Amino acid sequence: MVAAQAADYEKVTEKTLFNGEKLLEYKLPNGLKVLFLPRHQAKVLTFQAWFDVGSVDEKLDPKLKKTGLAHLFEHMMFRGTEKVPDGKFDEITSRLGADKQNASTYFYRTNFFESVPSKQLEKILELESDRMEHLKLDLEGFEKEKGAVVGELRRHLDTPSGVAMDEVIQEAYDVGPYRYTVLGTESEIKGFTLEEAQYFYKTFYAPNNATLIVVGDTTESQLMGLVVKYYGAMKSQTIPKLSIPEEPAQKKERSKEISHPQATSDMLIVAYRGAAVESEDTIPLSLLTSHLSTGMEGRLRKLLVDKGIAVHASAFTSNRPDLFEFYVQLAEKHKAEEALRIIDGEIASLTRKPISKGSFVRARNQELLSLYSDIGDNSSMAGWLGEYLMVSGNYMRGFEIIDGYKKLTPLDLQRVSKKYLVKHNRSILIVRPGKKGNS
Amino acid sequence: MKTRLSIIISVFFSIQAFCAAEPKFLIEEDPSLLTTVVDVVVQTGAVDDAPTKSGLTNLLAELMLRGTKTKNRSKFQNEVESLGASLDVRTTSDLIVFEGRVIQENTKAFLKLLEDAIVRPAFVPAEFQSLKTEVIASIANKKNQNGRLAGLAMRRHIFANTTLEHQVDGGMNTLTGITLDDVQKAYNDRFHQGNLLFAITSPVKSDEVKATLSAAWRQLPDGLKISRRSLPLKVPRKPLLIVVNKPGTSTGSLLQGQSGVTAQDPDRYALQLGNYSFGGDIQLSRLFHVIREELGWTYAIGSTYSAMGELTYQQGIYVISYTPSIEFTVKSLLKTLSMWKDYYQAGLKKEELISARESLVNSYPFEFDSAEKRLSHRLHSYLYNVPVLSPEDYEKKLKSISNDEIVKVLKAKQSPEGWIVAVVADPKEIQKQLDAEQKEVPEGERLKIGKVMTPDEVIQ
Repeated sequence: MVAAQAADYEKVTEKTLFNGEKLLEYKLPNGLKVLFLPRHQAKVLTFQAWFDVGSVDEKLDPKLKKTGLAHLFEHMMFRGTEKVPDGKFDEITSRLGADKQNASTYFYRTNFFESVPSKQLEKILELESDRMEHLKLDLEGFEKEKGAVVGELRRHLDTPSGVAMDEVIQEAYDVGPYRYTVLGTESEIKGFTLEEAQYFYKTFYAPNNATLIVVGDTTESQLMGLVVKYYGAMKSQTIPKLSIPEEPAQKKERSKEISHPQATSDMLIVAYRGAAVESEDTIPLSLLTSHLSTGMEGRLRKLLVDKGIAVHASAFTSNRPDLFEFYVQLAEKHKAEEALRIIDGEIASLTRKPISKGSFVRARNQELLSLYSDIGDNSSMAGWLGEYLMVSGNYMRGFEIIDGYKKLTPLDLQRVSKKYLVKHNRSILIVRPGKKGNS
Repeated sequence: MKTRLSIIISVFFSIQAFCAAEPKFLIEEDPSLLTTVVDVVVQTGAVDDAPTKSGLTNLLAELMLRGTKTKNRSKFQNEVESLGASLDVRTTSDLIVFEGRVIQENTKAFLKLLEDAIVRPAFVPAEFQSLKTEVIASIANKKNQNGRLAGLAMRRHIFANTTLEHQVDGGMNTLTGITLDDVQKAYNDRFHQGNLLFAITSPVKSDEVKATLSAAWRQLPDGLKISRRSLPLKVPRKPLLIVVNKPGTSTGSLLQGQSGVTAQDPDRYALQLGNYSFGGDIQLSRLFHVIREELGWTYAIGSTYSAMGELTYQQGIYVISYTPSIEFTVKSLLKTLSMWKDYYQAGLKKEELISARESLVNSYPFEFDSAEKRLSHRLHSYLYNVPVLSPEDYEKKLKSISNDEIVKVLKAKQSPEGWIVAVVADPKEIQKQLDAEQKEVPEGERLKIGKVMTPDEVIQ
């Protein structure tokens, strides 16, 4: 075991979660943040490294002004270092017994994660810190990885729902970088240079731009001793302060229709500009999605799926971009317009009178069930904390939202329906079967 | 394309179960849990449907959640969901599993609702019609998903003329022929005390849970016959290439299948160990290393013996699936077929074998890191009469498997070239690539398109 000195890191807070578990936060002098939630039920743990950088940052960065590099770079992180040859990272972690190892990129963040037997903690920290600091970026590997990323992009573009999700954001946003997809375009991907990759790595993969999250079977002294050993000497960097242009309020309804050769029936997405994650309105909006689409009694299921009009219908919120969306996959021979009329009818009902007490309790308890079911898993708990930290700067925000449900009444759901679910605040995207293009 | 189909004799055997005086419970208590999870496992599945009624078991299972004799569907579902619970059902080739989950403080009230669904389903005609419409729409929607379409096309051939040529939800044609009487009869025939058991993880004391569920179980008729059928797979000697005609794709969704294994197959450990390094590990395998990392032709590629879910009495399918960029579709296919032949002949390299062993042994703790996973292993062991290996025994088992043994079992259980390959793409594009890539190959040895199907034909 490696003993860390008190001066090597600062214990920022210790919080007790609603289920009695302790969550500890630390910070190293170089700015690296660490969240640790001890669990000793099994001799395993989850490690996640979160970087406060995503496709939005590269689009806004004057040295890049493109999208797709954050994602391509996520792939490059598996391409080897001086110590670990190209292609060996996965082999080594697999041989350590890693489970669920992978990475992902989104608009505002990138993460790398794996679960391992707890006895492998040191090896994982050694490997992860090594690729965070000593990645070998060579042209040959860079060009090869572009091929795989183009493959991923094409697979995405062959999926009507994937294309539709991208298109609706472009429709809903006028000026912000969310209009550009995380994956970028094929020409952007093929055009990235090694110099751009080196700049991106040096700038954004810095300790003061990262948070490590560990959930599982270890102790504070063991964990922090190893974190200081492997991450303590890293130098902090100047992270560009990029300000996202403020999106003007939407003033009229927008509508777009596209066709996709792989679609065999209509698809409808209706995206309303929603509330920021920090806003109190996020809490009732989030519960409203549960009322609309959770369970067999979710309103959209009853109105659309049970009647054979759609094969899938749901509502969900997202943050950064802040949207409240309806998603409907129509059944064959049914049109998107039919679903839109039904959704409009349901919204009219939501704004006219509050939902019943029974429906409200159902929605709230379904959210609790979902939370309770998810967070028992180390990886899900770490993901929950990390996502809220990156999107809001507050890793407790998810718990605050769930806790906030207790203070709500059906009137709150009616209030946010009136405020947000209005026609001039929405963008409609319809996908029809047919040759690719705009209709 | 002429192929000689290998004939695998269908194995039908039935077990006349004894009438148990008490229900079978498998329980994992864990006070740290926030939810109770109850699986009601019924030992009957899609394999018990007649080929002309494929999808019947799934309809039966789904309809049981759409109203009871005392509560209509809406009242029943509302009561479940208002408790902070969910009650879903999953049909496999040989099981129906009702999966209940509830926040712990409402466990008792939820169990009463569960009892109602299992013991007193209403089978309302209007709900039956609505469910059928929903399932048919959902099957039609598979045409939107190229990966699934490829899987279905492969399955139509490998399980041709059996009920398993469709997925558990059936085909468009078979569903239209299923009546409410068929569903009612299937319930009467298949829901008996002897083929039903309970698997529970809960923070609540198990005595309370057992008492409620035992009372439900006693209301079912005693006696039964559990049918454990294994339907034959039809695998050609040479690759049969099926193209599902979908022009305009920028990737080719490819899936190739041949015979897999049963849960009891003594060679399953050797096959799974070998497959781990050939294609089983999503990032570590030989297929990934060559087709993705070296050649950059595809984003993902992998192979599995669990394409039909966990291993059961039914022989499964061994599947390789990948989604190359369209221009690399035939290149990827030919390379994968050739890599399989190499693997079939020589097995793994020494380092690959060591790597596969270490990876599987070291990750084995994740099989048991939650109460639900521990219970799942116990349930599998009980249902399929296979042991749950301790970490030490698992390590011992894998260490005892040599590369010679892997090659031996590959030759005994698998085919070097007998694949059914399904690709979703434009047949003209595939033909063009086949011609371009096989110029040097003698005419008689070339891979040819054996069949072109429309998406509608695939889902019939």
